[in-house]
Amino acid sequence: MMSILGVMVGYNPGDLATDWASTVVLHAQQPEAVDEFVPIDELPPQDQLPAAPLLVVAYAFVVLALFAYLVSVARRLGAVQRDLERLQAELKRSGRT
Amino acid sequence: MPAWFTPATALCGLMFAISPFLIANAPYESTMGLVQKIFYVHLPSAWMFLIAAIVCGVASIRFLFRGDARHDRLAWAAAELVVLFGIVTLVTGPLWARKAWGVWWQWDVRLTASLIGWMVSVAYLLLRKYGGPGSDKLAAGLALFGMANVPFIYISVNYWRTIHPTTSVVPTLPTSFGLPLWFSTVMFLLLFVLLLRARVRLEEQRAELDELYLSVDG
Repeated sequence: MMSILGVMVGYNPGDLATDWASTVVLHAQQPEAVDEFVPIDELPPQDQLPAAPLLVVAYAFVVLALFAYLVSVARRLGAVQRDLERLQAELKRSGRT
Repeated sequence: MPAWFTPATALCGLMFAISPFLIANAPYESTMGLVQKIFYVHLPSAWMFLIAAIVCGVASIRFLFRGDARHDRLAWAAAELVVLFGIVTLVTGPLWARKAWGVWWQWDVRLTASLIGWMVSVAYLLLRKYGGPGSDKLAAGLALFGMANVPFIYISVNYWRTIHPTTSVVPTLPTSFGLPLWFSTVMFLLLFVLLLRARVRLEEQRAELDELYLSVDG
């Protein structure tokens, strides 16, 4: 059937078979698109911590970034609070409140 | 600070203490393995990044139309959180991608739009700091672009298919993955609200300080 089709369209049946085979190989090589997560209970030992440094850096960065921002807001709040108290005390001393 | 602030801070701290155990007990994903656990901080921070951009944009619209300084203070506070959660998203994403995709970065629509959204907020903050008089309204206009970018970031993966997973991943998550994710999301949301309130308080106190300086000069 493939040979007949190949002859009808002026195609060498051998080429057609090779193209078809290479298409099949290409499709077989392409990984499936990941659109959902599938849990597995066990992984081989060599795969159990394959990306530990990346994971540690990611979590360390999250903790450090959030902590640094928290400290930054606390320091700014403290500085403004001190300025407010100083100014209020000055105004009180000068009797302008 | 309001009465709910301290108990909410304690609850948030408790959730941060519990979350490592939940994340550690979540199963390994079959194709990505251990590195997929970055998901539990990457996705919630990405959502907070988008929520903060929406809060900043809505507050900026209200400030532009009503001129109320309270909305301006909220927009400024939210813009800082866009930068904070944005940098967390943009750093944890490539660390995950390096293992899962084999590359640190891809100039696909979602990643590029996220980077642009983050840069818009950095520009907002720079404008507020160095822009001088009138920069509040100019920055509010800039925040609108940041907000308009949000739906584009969210749906882009469904229209331009790249190696970034689509929005269908979360609704189809098994409970074993979903529980730590939603726990982490609530924790990040609580943190977002607390940081936003603290940052707004800072702006309120700065406004109070400015009024006092004016009364001293007057």
